[in-house]
This record gives sequence, structure tokens and C-alpha cells, in this order.
Amino acid sequence: MKKILIVDDEQDIVESLKFVLEAADFICYCAYNGEDGLRLAKEIIPDLIILDVMMPKINGYKISRLLKYDAKYKNIPILMVTARSQEEDKLIGEETGADEYITKPFELDEVVKKVEEYLK
Amino acid sequence: MIKILLVSENNNNTKKFNKIFDKNGYEFSVMTDETLICDIISVDPPDIIIVDAEIPNIKSLNKKVKSLCENTIIIFIISADRVDKELIKYANAFINGEMPEDLILSTINVNLRMKNSLDMLSNSNKDLADSLYRLNALYSTSSQFAGTLEKSKLIQYMIEGMDKALSFSLTCTLSLCTEDEPVLILNSLYELSDELITAIKLRTVLNYNSVFEGKEVPIKIDAENLKVIKHIKYPASRFTFTLFQYDNMFAPISLGDNFFGCIEIFKETSFTPEDATCFQTIAQQVSLPLKSATLYQEIIETNAKLEKLERLKSEFISIVSHELRTPLTSIKNSLDIMMSGRCGEITPSADKFLSMAMRNVQRLSGIINDLLDLSKIEAGKMDFNFAPTNINTVIGYVKSALSEVAKSKGLNLLTEETENLPVINADAQRLEQVLTNLVSNAIKFTPENKTIKISSSIISYKDIKINEYFRDTIKLPEGDYIQVCVEDEGIGIASKDLLHAFDKFAQIENSLSRKAGGTGLGLPIAKQLLEAHKGAIWCDSELNKGSKFCFVIPLVREAANIN
Repeated sequence: MKKILIVDDEQDIVESLKFVLEAADFICYCAYNGEDGLRLAKEIIPDLIILDVMMPKINGYKISRLLKYDAKYKNIPILMVTARSQEEDKLIGEETGADEYITKPFELDEVVKKVEEYLK
Repeated sequence: MIKILLVSENNNNTKKFNKIFDKNGYEFSVMTDETLICDIISVDPPDIIIVDAEIPNIKSLNKKVKSLCENTIIIFIISADRVDKELIKYANAFINGEMPEDLILSTINVNLRMKNSLDMLSNSNKDLADSLYRLNALYSTSSQFAGTLEKSKLIQYMIEGMDKALSFSLTCTLSLCTEDEPVLILNSLYELSDELITAIKLRTVLNYNSVFEGKEVPIKIDAENLKVIKHIKYPASRFTFTLFQYDNMFAPISLGDNFFGCIEIFKETSFTPEDATCFQTIAQQVSLPLKSATLYQEIIETNAKLEKLERLKSEFISIVSHELRTPLTSIKNSLDIMMSGRCGEITPSADKFLSMAMRNVQRLSGIINDLLDLSKIEAGKMDFNFAPTNINTVIGYVKSALSEVAKSKGLNLLTEETENLPVINADAQRLEQVLTNLVSNAIKFTPENKTIKISSSIISYKDIKINEYFRDTIKLPEGDYIQVCVEDEGIGIASKDLLHAFDKFAQIENSLSRKAGGTGLGLPIAKQLLEAHKGAIWCDSELNKGSKFCFVIPLVREAANIN
């Protein structure tokens, strides 16, 4: 079974993503801040990461960049969740390496579909 | 009394003239000492000096007398028929000791009359020169006033102008308009002691309060805490309290309801009525530019406030929409999961209310998207992907996306495209957004069994027909355009509302648009997006007959060639 890491400081969103992904037969690991997310990513080496952009301490773009520069992790697909805020716009100028962007609010079914596409 | 001085050593002369002048009421004195004569002339100049031509030092005396008092009449007493040429230079007249009394008196009188006329002439000349000087001062002051909108400069120019025109000893200017607090500006010839300044402050506040006798003062001024700015011309000397015995004038500086301050001016010598006029004129003159400066300052401040508000609004929208999106996502996800039946069977009535919640989540997220779009466009942060675009392709997309919705409402969605249109330089996605919005509106506001028509055409600048409501606000350069129209047979827009159709949160048929689920932002976004394309949008409408929204986008020659 494929492992998916969900990183978002909004617990409710993590909860709902976990629910639909587990229903689709994925194993889900959850982190509620950037630091835990990064640590967990290196520890379990997931098959895919769903990553929120705006998080305290380390934002999603930074995590994405760190992982994508590392040969060990650079092949893990990253789906970035964004709220399209102005703060995010300021950050987006930098290369993030994310494979896909999902705008809040998103369709859960679509996320599942995308995950399945990447892990075919 | 007419003063006559006789310079003679001849006792006969002295006696004779004494008799004549005493009898006729003149003030008569006799002197011989040159130094004494000079002293008396400089202190109390006589009207007439009669000089005996026989006195020994006559030459030097004549010179001195002439230099001391130019206007005094000099009459020489000569005994011989022969007149010294030297004397003619100084003489107003000559008399002879043997002349009869009448003749002597008439000679004196003729000369006195002449002197009076000369004095008058000289005085009027002096007055004229004074007026001219004052006029010049006024003129240069008023041109200085016109040259600035800085209030402290205006007050400074006013005081300088007063100095030029009136040459004061001290001016006390209370200004309410140059700083945050009232300030007393003292321009003084000499240094002022602290005690004197305290007295001046008290006096100024009393003057100020007296301007508003019986009314409320604009700002309560406390003499003790009044801020003072001193400009002393000669700091080595000091004024004493006798300053208050000087002649003084006072004037408020105000225009209508605007009160800028007041000014009091002191001078050692008395002010003339002309001085008073001049003083009042300058005090009045400065109030008009002060008023303009006040208005100018207000405009600047208002502008700064507006800019700040605009920025705050943008930031606010951005933050709010971000903060709203996250919880909205959680609500939506929960609804999604429940509606999918993964948490158990859903009864038909539960489904009804879950759908209702879902519909409103979607509506809310639509509003947030629109708000974000609008704030991005207004802040100039919207990114456009300009590329050669075929408008008919865009129309095709929109038609296929919305024909189902139209059909479900029993509406007929038609397109009437002109074939082989040249491409335009545009962001296809944004145009799709505009067109989707226009067609969705048409669907919302058109009753069953009616038709909605989308048409495209190429149109020349001169054939574009913009109605009276939009003609003034739309300025398009000459050239060719692609025009797209969306025509419906819906409820239409009343002419009074047409002007506001593209305003943010326009309140047109409020209840109805709410029922139809509009955000009130679709049309303003469309307008801004088209303006970013150098195009324009407007609307023709008739109540209960239907509306026709048209937009144009300029054809660019380079873009046309890509085809």
C-alpha cells in the first residue's frame, strides 16, 4: 500500500483528506506544522506529499524546495495546497518544485483522483 | 506766531525793526554771535532771518545758515545801492534801512506767502513719495502672497510687508494656522525681557478673546503656555515697559468663518490714517492665500487618507479571503464526505439540506474568488497571459459550458459568430471569465422559453454605438475592434440603474439578484478585465424587454498578421 504524507496546520482539513484517502486504500501520515512535516518526510519517505503553503515556522514552499534539492527525495510528487493569498503570491516568485497546485476550497474527489494519477 | 531773527550790530536798525515787528505781532529776536545763531537755527528755525549786510563775518554765516535750514527766508539789509554779487546767491529779498515801514512789511509778507506755498508743495511731495513707497511695499507683498501655499511663509511675508510699509518697533502675531498649537511670533527691533514677554502674551490673549466677544473662541488659549517665537533685530538693546505707551494698531486675520490669527503692531511715533489703511489692507490680503493654503493642505491630507484606506482595503480583502478559504474548505470537505454516503445512508430530506449547505458554500467561495480578483486587478497585481486569441473559440467554450444550464431553465442559447475573424491579443481565460459572467447573468435574469444570443463581429471605431449613459466615460482610440454582444429577453435594467451597472456591489433590483445568487462583483470585474485589454464594455437595456451587453477589444495589426 502506498504511503501519503499530509502536512497542514489546519487539522480539520488534514482530517477530511485522511478520511477520503484512507477510503481509497492509502496509508496516511499526518503532520500539523512544517517542521514535523519535514522530519516525517525524511523518516518514512512517503510515496506522495500533500503540502499546505501557509504554515507557521516553515512554509510549504520551503519544505518543497528542501526535498526537491535532495536526490533522496526529489522523486516524491508534491501536491501543494494554496489559498491564493497575497502573502503566498510574494513567495511564489521562487522556484518551489511542486508538481501540482490545488486551490482552496478543493474537491476531495479531485484530490483523490490526482493522487491516484501520480501513483499509478 | 511768525518768528523773525535779526542779525545786526547796528543799533539803529535794531530799534527800528523791533518797533515795526513788535507792533505787528511778530516774535522778534536779535543776535550777533555766529555760533549762537547756528544753535538757535538748528533747534528752533525762524521763518525769516534778516541779516545786516554790514556785519563782518557775513560770508561764513550765510553758508552755515543755508546748510542748516534750507527753507528759511533770508533778507539782507543793505545801505548802498550797490549789491554784492555773493549775497544774491542767498537772498530772498533786499531791504534798505531807510525804507518806509509799509514797504518793509509788505516785502516780509510776500516772502512769507511764498514760503508757505513752498512748504505745502514740499509736504505734498513728501506725502506722495510716502504713498508711492507704501504702494510698492503692498504690491511686492501681495505678489509674494501669490507665490506660496505655505502658511508659515505667508505669515512671514505679511510681517515683512508690514515692516516695509510701516517700519514698526514690534509686531505681535498670534498664528493659529502655522503649527499644531497656537504660536505667538514676536518681531522686535530690540530684545524683550521675560517679564515683558509675559505681559505681551497676556495682552495678545486678551486681544484674541476680544475678537470673539460673546461668541465661543475657536481654540482656548492659555497665555501661560503660549508658545513664543522671537525675531530680534538688534539684540544688544532692550525694550522696557514704556513700549506699551507706543502707538499701536490691531487687526484680526480672518476670512469669513476661517480665523487664522491676529496681529498687533507697535511704533514709537504715531501712525497716520494712511498707515492704518495699509495695515488693515495687508492683514486682509494675507487671509485669502491662507484660506487657499488651508484648502490645499486639506486636499493633500484627504488624498493621503484615501490612499491609506485603499491600501488597507486591499490588504483587508486579501487577508479576509485567505482566512475565509481555510474554514470554508473544511466545511466543504465535510459536506462532500457526508454526501458521498461514506458515513452512512442519507435520507432525502438530509440530502436536501446537505445540498443547500453545499450550494451556499460554493456561492461563498465564488464571492471570495471575485473579491480576490477585483483586489488584484485594482492593485495592478493581476497577471495576464496575452496571446493571439480567436474570440469565436472563447464563445464556443462558454456555449458548451453553459448550454446545459440554459436548457435546464428552458432557455435557448444561440450563437451568431462572424466567421474568419482576425485574432486579438488577449488572455483567453480572462475573456472566458467575462463572457461566462455575461451569459450566466443573462440566464439568471431571463424567464423560460426565451432566447439568449451571443454574437461576434468586426467593427470600425466610427461604427461603435455607445449609448448616452456610457458615452462620456468610454474613450476609445480610432481603429478596428472585435465586438461581442450578449443579448437576452430578460427583465432588463431601468435607465436610472444603467449607469451603476458596472459599480461594485451595485444594488440593482437587489432582492432579485439575491434570489439569483449574484455576488455583485461580476460586472465590475468584467469591466476591469476589458480595460486591461484596452477595450470597453457597456449595456443597452429596456425594462421588461431585455438587455444587451456589448464589449469591444482593439485589433492590433501585429496580432492580425499572426493569423
